[in-house]
Amino acid sequence: MAQGTRAGRDGWRAVALLTPAFVGLCVFVIGPAIVSAFVAGTDKNLTGPDFHWVGTANLREALADPDLGQAVRNTLVYCLLTVIPSVLFGLLLALAAERVTRGRAAVRFALFLPASANIVAMAVVFQYIFDSSPDGLANTLVGFVGIDPVNWLGDRATALPVVALVGGWRLTSFVFVVYLAGLTAIPRSVYEAADVDGVRGLARLRHVTLPLLAPTTVFLGVFVTVLTLQTFETVAVLTEGGPLDSSTTIIYYIYKVGFTGSFRIGYASMIALLLLVAVVLVGAAGALLGRRVRMARQLGGMGAEDPVAEGGRS
Amino acid sequence: MTSEAASPRHRAGAGRAPGSKRSAGAGRRAVPFWSSLSAAGRFGFLAVGITAALLPFVWMLRTAVGPPQNALRLSANPIPSSVGFGAFENAWQAGDLGPALLTGIGVSLAVLALQLLTGIPAAYAFAWVPFRGRGLLFGVVLATLLVPPQVTAVPNYVTISALGFADTRVGLVLPFMTQAAAIFLLRQYMSTIPVSVLEAARMDGLGTLRTLRTVVVPLSMPAIATVSVFSFLLSFNEYLWPLLVARSPDIATPPLALAGLATRTSAFPDFTQLAAGSLIISLPTLVVFVVAQRRLTAGITGTGLAA
Repeated sequence: MAQGTRAGRDGWRAVALLTPAFVGLCVFVIGPAIVSAFVAGTDKNLTGPDFHWVGTANLREALADPDLGQAVRNTLVYCLLTVIPSVLFGLLLALAAERVTRGRAAVRFALFLPASANIVAMAVVFQYIFDSSPDGLANTLVGFVGIDPVNWLGDRATALPVVALVGGWRLTSFVFVVYLAGLTAIPRSVYEAADVDGVRGLARLRHVTLPLLAPTTVFLGVFVTVLTLQTFETVAVLTEGGPLDSSTTIIYYIYKVGFTGSFRIGYASMIALLLLVAVVLVGAAGALLGRRVRMARQLGGMGAEDPVAEGGRS
Repeated sequence: MTSEAASPRHRAGAGRAPGSKRSAGAGRRAVPFWSSLSAAGRFGFLAVGITAALLPFVWMLRTAVGPPQNALRLSANPIPSSVGFGAFENAWQAGDLGPALLTGIGVSLAVLALQLLTGIPAAYAFAWVPFRGRGLLFGVVLATLLVPPQVTAVPNYVTISALGFADTRVGLVLPFMTQAAAIFLLRQYMSTIPVSVLEAARMDGLGTLRTLRTVVVPLSMPAIATVSVFSFLLSFNEYLWPLLVARSPDIATPPLALAGLATRTSAFPDFTQLAAGSLIISLPTLVVFVVAQRRLTAGITGTGLAA
């Protein structure tokens, strides 16, 4: 009898505890996502109240839209230029900074700065660092190695890489923060055990530290990719997607189609829906990978206190 | 562990490990070499990283205190020809940064309060209250993280307008009342609370709310601090939603005020003024981050994301 009432009570407790959160999520995230999936099948326009069901017309238009194709390519390039370098550099910086003893707080503060800065403010600053004039900071610096002034943000070849550089600069700092926390969590005893076994230097990094950081890496890989796919501010402030759409990412294209020009929110919603599907796939892949990493860990180990063996296996 | 017991298992990696048991001599020689090389490399790499991290800030400061610059008259000289603080006052007034900062801080704190009020109970339920469909529901919460803000922007605008909150501070706050990432981090941390503690609370006859207030929340402080810092950073820096909702300048948030300053002034914006404005609106989040630095790592550490 206790079973039933206990479960019933737990059920009501859960409802009471979860209701506030789910009101927020349903009204402002889940509901809107569903509405927008519906709007994606219409020709809804933000300037007028009338709209009609157009079936798959938006989908067909999206698949054939050369501007969207360009935005997808730009987004892939942007991701490639930001995600992998920022995770790599963030990890290396965390590894290097963890061992710093003197000036520890100052080192961390400096490397935390980009993550905490206001992105619009930084975009404004980068805008004049990368000014096209020969006296801009970037042009002065490349001038030292004999390169002629570059119209960084106004040239189709350089606009997207510069925007990616700004995004990556900030992401690296975020990755650093998370990896540093991950490194702090590795108990000293693990390193001592490795030391007893004579595992040091690069071998220790490869067989002890990196395997122990694997869950952090998986989390970061997914989270940073999702963040990157949603990049908006840097593009909006630095280039407004130009020149000639050469730095228009998918998110910026959605903004451009839905919130400017002809305000075609129906079509914008369709593109957003396609993006959502892509993001969910990335997220699902990450979740699977995360589960595999955790399982590999549990299998590897009775060896929670035997990281060397675990590292050797993976 | 004893190295005896470890050696058979560890043989897989032994070939690559310079200091494995059998090649102890080689290991001993290798260590000073590696450590001195890696110390130098580490130092150099850190120096480059710190320079890259700081350069834009230094440049922002240098521009803000230097003589006026615009697109037609730039200077890459690291030492300004004259130093003054007029640009700060200038930006403060032209961009209405004072009211914007107040709005930004107020809105961010309100969002934070709501996220904690909705997130803490939910996280507790996901961590400690067994109910049917818990895993599924938690999955739904996590899935909301993947919805791009641009997708929800228009429906949310309609909702907020219908509630009569368009162009108000309440309208800036409400859509962010629940943050799935906060629920996730808090839940991960709360699941590490020992069962015995919660059992003891029940034995003492504490109800759910009292348990939350007197036991769970105090024990989860590191995670709550982490969530608070990230929440504040995100809200304070939010750009898209205020861009849509805050139509009247008197409720502009700091990024909006700065963007206004950048576009409003003239075809050749005054970079000195923009740099000063950028510095001013960056200060609140920098202060929060610096103050919270240590707690931040502690909080992330306990959430199971790390190691």
